Amino acid sequence: MSRKQLADKLGINYQTIGYIERGDYNPSLELALTIAGFFRLPVEAIFSLRPMSPLSSEVFGEPPSESR
Amino acid sequence: MSVTTTISSRIEYLPRSSRRMLVAAALLGYPVAVAVLVGLKHTSLNKWLILAVFLVIVLAVTVLVTVGYVYARGRIEGRCARLDERDLALRQQAYALSHRTLAVILIAVTAGLTIYLTGGNTVRLDANSFWPVVMWVVVYIPALPALMLAWIETDQPADV
Repeated sequence: MSRKQLADKLGINYQTIGYIERGDYNPSLELALTIAGFFRLPVEAIFSLRPMSPLSSEVFGEPPSESR
Repeated sequence: MSVTTTISSRIEYLPRSSRRMLVAAALLGYPVAVAVLVGLKHTSLNKWLILAVFLVIVLAVTVLVTVGYVYARGRIEGRCARLDERDLALRQQAYALSHRTLAVILIAVTAGLTIYLTGGNTVRLDANSFWPVVMWVVVYIPALPALMLAWIETDQPADV
């Protein structure tokens, strides 16, 4: 799904999605809940105060460190 | 895609550093044009050449102010069909910064005039001094919020 499609569904401008992704804009509680509701996920699965780890490392764990 | 759309989309994605230079040039352009006109009047240059130099600077200022309006995309006046919460917050910041900028300019001009008049000098209000001030007010007061919006907004995220 593109930013434009998501923005149209949420009724906001597509640039706003980009600014949120980049961390340049903090959405209001209402918009955060709307986005979470759209993806049917709890809001803390989408927004966090700490940087989120990639989904692959969440599912498969941390890749083994290269040691010889 | 029309030429107008191409130009406006290019303006929309101007990096902040370039936008800030354009805003500064737009704000300084008209006072510079008037100063150049006043300065050249006292020289032996041909009056048509002086007028041409003045008009070129004014034309450049008009273009820069128009770029500011195009960049704002109707978000200041509410012409934009849909203003989301970020646009509304940005508009509020742009108006607040315009007010502060205007306050600084008015205080600086008033202080400058006061110091000048305290020194025993006089200021004559005639068409030569009145019209540049009127033109400044007519051009800049409405354009200031759009220019401030172009000044404060961070770079647009790249399209994905």
